[in-house]
Amino acid sequence: MNVLLAVLWKDLTIELRSRDRVVAMVVFSLLVVMVFHLSLPADTRDTAPGLLWIAYVFAALLGLGRSFSLELENDAVSGIALAPADRGWVFLGKAAANWIILSAVQAVTALVFALVFDLDLMAVAGRLAGVVALSSVGLCAIGTLSAAVAVRTRFREVMLPLLMLPLLWPVLSGAVHATRQLLTSGSLSFEPIQFLIVTDGIYLIVSFLVFEYILDE
Amino acid sequence: MRHLSQPVPHTIPPRALLTSGLVLAALAAVWSALVLTAPVDRMQGVVQKILYVHVPCAFSAYLGFGLTAIAGALYLARNDERFDRLAAAAAEVGVLFCSLNILSGPIWAKATWGHWWAWDPRLTVTLLLWFVYLAYLLLRSFTEGSDRTARFAAVYGILGATAMPLNYFAIDLFGGAAMHPENLERGSLGAGMGWPFAAAIAVGFAAFVHLLLLRVDLAARHTAAELAAQERDFAR
Repeated sequence: MNVLLAVLWKDLTIELRSRDRVVAMVVFSLLVVMVFHLSLPADTRDTAPGLLWIAYVFAALLGLGRSFSLELENDAVSGIALAPADRGWVFLGKAAANWIILSAVQAVTALVFALVFDLDLMAVAGRLAGVVALSSVGLCAIGTLSAAVAVRTRFREVMLPLLMLPLLWPVLSGAVHATRQLLTSGSLSFEPIQFLIVTDGIYLIVSFLVFEYILDE
Repeated sequence: MRHLSQPVPHTIPPRALLTSGLVLAALAAVWSALVLTAPVDRMQGVVQKILYVHVPCAFSAYLGFGLTAIAGALYLARNDERFDRLAAAAAEVGVLFCSLNILSGPIWAKATWGHWWAWDPRLTVTLLLWFVYLAYLLLRSFTEGSDRTARFAAVYGILGATAMPLNYFAIDLFGGAAMHPENLERGSLGAGMGWPFAAAIAVGFAAFVHLLLLRVDLAARHTAAELAAQERDFAR
C-alpha cells in the first residue's frame, strides 16, 4: 500500500512540475474534437457518445505511452523493481496516476466537446463524470499494463494500440452504451454500470497478479 | 540469452509426427468422401457445404487460443521453455484456423444472409479473438530476448483469454441481433449431415494436432540450433 502511494505521489509530482503529459494530451484531444467537427454533419446526437470516447482513447494512448518511457530514462525501472513489496502495488500506483491525469484531460475535453457540438451536458454532468471515471479504471488498468509491455519492445508506439485496443473492447462498449443512454434519455440503467464494475474488477485483479512478470528485471 | 548449462530442448519424435500425419490423411480421405456425398441443403444449395470447413476451423481456433493461455500460465508457474514453445505454436496454428474461419464465413454469409459481413455476436467475438492473438504474435516478434518474449507473451495470452468472456457478455448486453443459429441444441443439422459434420470436426482437430506438433518440433530444433551456434562460438 505504501508503495502504491509512493509511486502515485512520484508520478503526480513529476507531472505537476513538468505538466508536459497533460498539456500534450489536452491539445491532442482538442485537435481530435476539431477534426470530428470538420468532418461530420452538424447533427451528431447519435454519434456523440462514440466520438467522445474515441477522443478519450486517443488521449489515453498518448499519455500511457509516456508513463513508462519515463521510467526507462536512467534505468529508473530497475529502481522501482527493487521496491520491497509485491510489484502489483507498483502497477496500481502507476494506474492510479494515469487515471488521475486522464480524468483531468477528460474533463477539459468534455467541456470543449459540449461547446463544439452544442450538447447540454450540465443536466447529466455528475452521472456522466461517474460513468467516465468508472470506465477509465478499466482503461487505465489495461492501458498501464499494455504500456509496460509495449515500451520494452521494438516499435513501441505501434505496439501500444495493437496490444491495448482488442482488450479494451468490453470496457469501451460498456462506456459508450452508458454514455449514449445519458446523452439521449438523461437516465442510466443499472446494466452497463454493473458490467463496467465487473470488467474493471477483473482487469484490475488480473493485471495486479501478472504485473510481477512484466517488471521482472 | 540461453545459458550453455541448459539441456538440449525436446523435439517431437519422428514416429509421433508420422502417426499424426497418417491419421490426418486418413481422416481427410473419409471427410472428402462424406462431404461429397452429403445431402445438398434444400434452401441454401451447395454453398451450405462450407459448414464442413467453417465450423471445424472455428473449433480448432478456439482450442488453439485456449491452449495458448493455459501453456502461458504454466510457463509463468514452472519457468519451463517447453510450455512457451507450446503456447507460441498453439497461437500460430490458432490464428491460422481463425483466419480460415473468418475467410470462409463471408462466402457463406453472402449466399445466405445477403451480406458479406454482419455484426453478429459470434462473428464479433471471433474477430476480436483474431486481433488479440495477432497482437500476441506481433508482440512475440517485436520483443527481444527469449525469456522476456516468453513472459510478455504469456501475460498477454492470459489477458486475451480473460477478455473473451467479457467481450461475449458485452455483446450480449449491448450488441445487435444474432445471425448465427443457436447450434448448441440437438437437431439443428439436416438429415444425413451428422456424419459428414462429425468427420469435419475430427479432421479439424487432427489437422490442428499435426500442425501443432510440427510447429513445436520446429521451435525445439530452432532452439537447439541456436544453442549449438553458441557452443561453437564459445569453443572458438
